[in-house]
Amino acid sequence: MSNVPTIDRASRWKAIRTEVGRAVGALAIALAVAFVVVLLTSKSPFEALNVLLTQIPARPRTIGLWLDDVAKLTITGLAFSLVFQARQFSMGVQGQVYVGGLAATWVALSPLGTTWAAIPLGMAAAMLAGAIWGFIPGIAKAKLGANEIVSSLMLNYIAIELCNYLVRAVLPKPQAGVLTTNDFPDTAVIPQLIKFDGLNITRLDYGFVFAIVAVIVVWFALYRTSWGLKLRLVGHNPRFAEYSGIKSTFIMVSAMTAAGALGGLLGSMFVQGQGYGKLTVLFEGNLAFEGILVAIVARSRPLAVPVVALFYGYLRQGAQLMNIRTDVPAEVIGVVTAIIILLVSSSFSINFIKRLFRRHAAPAATATVPAGSAAK
Amino acid sequence: MTELFFTVFSAAFFVTIIRTSTPLLLSTMGGLVADLSGALNVALEGMMLTGALTAVLVSVYAPWYVAVLAGMSAGAMLGLIMAFFAFRMRADIILVGFAINILAAGGTVFALSLATGGDKGTSINLPSKAVPAVDLSFLSGIPVVGPFLTSILSGHSVLSWFAAFVVFAVWYFLYRTPWGLWLRGVGEYPAAPEAAGIPVNLVRTLSLAVSGALAGIGGAQLAMFNYVGFTRDMTAGRGFIALGAVLLGARHPVGALCAALLFGAFEALAVVMPGIFDDAPAELIRAIPFVVTILALILFSIRAQRALALRGAK
Repeated sequence: MSNVPTIDRASRWKAIRTEVGRAVGALAIALAVAFVVVLLTSKSPFEALNVLLTQIPARPRTIGLWLDDVAKLTITGLAFSLVFQARQFSMGVQGQVYVGGLAATWVALSPLGTTWAAIPLGMAAAMLAGAIWGFIPGIAKAKLGANEIVSSLMLNYIAIELCNYLVRAVLPKPQAGVLTTNDFPDTAVIPQLIKFDGLNITRLDYGFVFAIVAVIVVWFALYRTSWGLKLRLVGHNPRFAEYSGIKSTFIMVSAMTAAGALGGLLGSMFVQGQGYGKLTVLFEGNLAFEGILVAIVARSRPLAVPVVALFYGYLRQGAQLMNIRTDVPAEVIGVVTAIIILLVSSSFSINFIKRLFRRHAAPAATATVPAGSAAK
Repeated sequence: MTELFFTVFSAAFFVTIIRTSTPLLLSTMGGLVADLSGALNVALEGMMLTGALTAVLVSVYAPWYVAVLAGMSAGAMLGLIMAFFAFRMRADIILVGFAINILAAGGTVFALSLATGGDKGTSINLPSKAVPAVDLSFLSGIPVVGPFLTSILSGHSVLSWFAAFVVFAVWYFLYRTPWGLWLRGVGEYPAAPEAAGIPVNLVRTLSLAVSGALAGIGGAQLAMFNYVGFTRDMTAGRGFIALGAVLLGARHPVGALCAALLFGAFEALAVVMPGIFDDAPAELIRAIPFVVTILALILFSIRAQRALALRGAK
């Protein structure tokens, strides 16, 4: 836009302020709606809200659970950010988490599981499996034009059923009837990050560090390599990218494959993490899909992803506590999530009500503005 | 194996196919209408789920047809919400669709737990009603073919017959009425209808509402005929399979009908197989419709690309 760097920097700060304002406004509206719902349905609405918003810092254990969720939400948010930046709507992170978890389990329960190589090999195997799972919809789209939304969602269901089957019927388990595998050997479980007697942050492990590393790697790949530039260009204007000699199909497939590797890594962080240390059915508890929200609110910016994950992880863990301690089910958070996505991905801003009633329906040509460029 | 063969070619299996296809067919038609108007409806899954729960909850207090209408309205309502955010608020329609899906997945469990007093799994404790089956046993009076006709035509849900009618109605609307032409024009090249004074966003809004309504009826069939009662996440990807069926059916009502029947047939196979093979893993059988959807999508895309290449060569 401008070739004067100072103006550029000023406009960037303005954009950041707008985005933050938008996210905070959306969060406030979503929480207000959720509160009205709770008010109408709960016997003790204020206690429920109190548990949702204030109880996490009260105990080290819940802080550990929260930060562990943040690490995982960061990874899935990064995976979604990668494909969203290339403007692909691959929704396959969930499936990649399951195949990644299976691959990590395979390494952990093999003879290799008792050696020092269990963790790095488990993670590598998980990333490979996830990458393959991400590659399939990518190549089907690039070479054949098969819709990536449908194919990636189908692969999710297939991976879930595959995991269910293997856990139930094939993999070794402690006793008949339980839907978990044997515990992994200690060498195959990612160690705790903080071991301190008085401070019992049990769930937090080195997965947190992996998440930070992943943020930096994805940021570097997107903003400091030519691959990242091409990827963003393909996402922004595929025809222009094609004319300037970028192989957009290659970029598309590689973006989905890289996102798949991240999904696989998340799978190994789940099953090899302190939370499980074994494979169970449905282990990810729908967390993988919530990366959509993280990526959308972060506008697919890798550096913003962990910040959003921090806030969203807090809400998510708060909802779990609310579920246990009060009569409000945790699923009410789905309402909050949906409203935030709707508001943040739309041209909503603080004074949106004013504009809504002043301006009439936008012309159709601008009706499908891409999510990333909807900011004014 | 021969047992499977006989099962597949029995009249009972045909009836099962119709039963499993009906929810798929209804939401496929919904997806088709939205897709042709240029508004890809990825929220079919959430609309079906919401329609199913609404129908079940209403059927506790009202007759079955009121319940089906309620399920339909719930779906249409979600379609309107989607249209509002996609066209008025200019959000990306795919993201809006997934937001609706998340809303439906969480909201239905929340509403279910309120309605049942804490049960977050099923509505089994609620006395919900079923959609009646159409009894055509009088056809047995016809000589020679009578019993056969009865065995394949009798006992389908009212909504299955309605779905067959919807296929015809959608085809007639799209290809034999001026509004159908508008809708297809809006999907094909929005600038031209815009210039001709056709309200593009209104057309898309209405098609999303119709799309949601049909998906809602599909959900009602699922929760009031295929299974009586609502269970958490009971649509299990059917909305997304319907989306695949739209593409597989070459975005034409008859093609979509064939695709929905194909997926319905594989779902029916997954229903009957555990009874025949005792040791077959249920999980892998349940995955069959998803595998078939991917394979069908890929094969169809190859064909479509070849057709495109041929057209380019001429």
